[in-house]
Amino acid sequence: MKLDKNNLPDKNGFFGEYGGKFVPETLMYALEELETTYEKLKNNNEFKEQFYKDLSEFVGRPSPLYFAERLTKHYGTGSIWLKREDLNHTGAHKINNTIGQILLAKYMGKKRIIAETGAGQHGVATATVAARLGLECHIYMGSEDVQRQSLNVYRIKLLGAQVHSVDSGSATLKDALNEALRDWVTNVDDTYYIIGSVTGPHPYPMIVRDFNSVVGEELISQSKELFNSMPDAIVACVGGGSNAMGAFYPFIKFNETRLIGVEAGGEGVETGEHAAPLNDGTPGVLHGSLSYLMQDDSGQVKGTKSVSAGLDYPGVGPEHSWLKDSGRAEYVAVSDDAALKAFHEVSELEGIIPALETAHAFAYLDTLMKEFDKNSNIIVNVSGRGDKDINTVANIDGIKI
Amino acid sequence: MNRLTNTLEDLKNKSKKALVAYLVAGDPDIETTLELMTVLVESGVDIIEIGVPFTDPIAEGPIIQKAHDRALKNNVSLKSIFEMVDKFRKNDNDTPLVLMGYLNTFIFNKALIEDNKNDVIDSVLVVDIPGELKLKDYGVYNPNINTISLISPTTKKDRIESIAKNSSGFVYYVTLRGVTGASNLDVNEISSNIEEIKKHASVPTLAGFGIKSAEDAKLLSQCSDGVIIGSSIVQMIEDSSQSKEFDKIRTYITDIKKAIS
Repeated sequence: MKLDKNNLPDKNGFFGEYGGKFVPETLMYALEELETTYEKLKNNNEFKEQFYKDLSEFVGRPSPLYFAERLTKHYGTGSIWLKREDLNHTGAHKINNTIGQILLAKYMGKKRIIAETGAGQHGVATATVAARLGLECHIYMGSEDVQRQSLNVYRIKLLGAQVHSVDSGSATLKDALNEALRDWVTNVDDTYYIIGSVTGPHPYPMIVRDFNSVVGEELISQSKELFNSMPDAIVACVGGGSNAMGAFYPFIKFNETRLIGVEAGGEGVETGEHAAPLNDGTPGVLHGSLSYLMQDDSGQVKGTKSVSAGLDYPGVGPEHSWLKDSGRAEYVAVSDDAALKAFHEVSELEGIIPALETAHAFAYLDTLMKEFDKNSNIIVNVSGRGDKDINTVANIDGIKI
Repeated sequence: MNRLTNTLEDLKNKSKKALVAYLVAGDPDIETTLELMTVLVESGVDIIEIGVPFTDPIAEGPIIQKAHDRALKNNVSLKSIFEMVDKFRKNDNDTPLVLMGYLNTFIFNKALIEDNKNDVIDSVLVVDIPGELKLKDYGVYNPNINTISLISPTTKKDRIESIAKNSSGFVYYVTLRGVTGASNLDVNEISSNIEEIKKHASVPTLAGFGIKSAEDAKLLSQCSDGVIIGSSIVQMIEDSSQSKEFDKIRTYITDIKKAIS
């Protein structure tokens, strides 16, 4: 059987061997209910109109594809284009997915919204859409991330949501996910869980990808308009992988476009101190799906290390695992140091302060641009803006604000 | 024949309810767990569920989460648990032992489950898989170890039927929407759901999650074939981890046993 790369997941939620629905029995009904609702609504004209109307009027889409003139000169090879997801309302791509999922929650009549967040962008995006509909909202966040993303914590609170600081385990994104799942198991009847990445049990990886695919869809028409061809490569950072998946998905069928995901290399992949499961992990089950996972020699999930809270996660969305094994996408890693260097460089060259997550994608241009000539067009998905990271970077640079 | 099936049949013939106790292997350390297993059996426990510690135990409440963390600090692995159970079996070859844990551990350590050297383990309970699936659906197969199916208050009737019909060992009825150790038992809902399960299941139905007092145990044993106690015991183990005095646990188990008899 030949798998159609654009027709996944299969009915059981698998992308090749990855994905699935590995959850406690209590959640099975909720997942089925979500799947049924989504299948019914995704081709419903009224639903689609509402989704695109909100994206246009509330988020400000389409986001521009912007020619990075000085960055292009800096490398002196191909043209570098920036997909400006940082210009979205709330400052990152995360809002695309939450706009879609809150509509599902509304159709399902759920009264209470929960979400996990790492860098806080998904927390802000969820609190934002919940506020808009007047729904009760709870955000789970690792206590370490509450520290390093304090600005976003305050934004979430301003939006009327409650932030729950999670101390268990490594006190980062994976533990926030654990706690959100525990909340969901407890309050499953009236609660909608807005997962923030292409992770978790089926149907989440598919739903989050589909809503965020607006990014890739826009890129197809913008590429034609601006340089009259498909791009030679799209580069995006990968934590759970939602911004990358949204940009990659509509391009899977266009083989001329290289799809490159950049993971968090932390102290360096060779040190083991990183958050790069696609580069240095093995298949395992975490948070409801089978995918590449950082685990030790007895099957325990390993702690991660990254300067970027949004990439600090030991797992990755199952579709990325499938894209890696099938060879359709490439996955590399860059270190904290390289990402920090790119953070400063892009700020100074382009007048755009990227999120630390996004800075990983920029950092890989040092390697990638050597592989291209002047006629090529490279797109970097600018997943979010870096305002939230000012304190972290200032601290590292020894500056008191 | 499997010890679990034997024990449950024996209890049924005597019209008795099963008492299942849960502890986390390696909390506070492997030697103490071994000692505690004997304490539990001496106090009247029929079946022991051995919690296999995992870094991300999403179905557990805070009490059992902390126990998992303590065990992991001691580097407890499925391999060391098998070694511990092997020692336990030298003195007790009758008490059924159930491994309760998370899918990743069992897939990752597939060889240990398939080997089950000396047939020490009788059953596996995987918390994070849907009720109708078995370990063999995930490529881990041992004909002498069954996978216990879970059914929850949110399981719909058609699935209750198919899960119950295909279950082995016993059906684990999760008594509440929530994590282990929570406290929102709804006895009416529980008894009507267990009644539904018993229409279809050929094996006993036991109730677990949120059972704390002898009174809870008594109420739930009236509508089920037995009860499973976890968080309360794990809390007592934590409290006695320094003193290693287990009289409170003995008294607690004895009282529960009386209440369900």
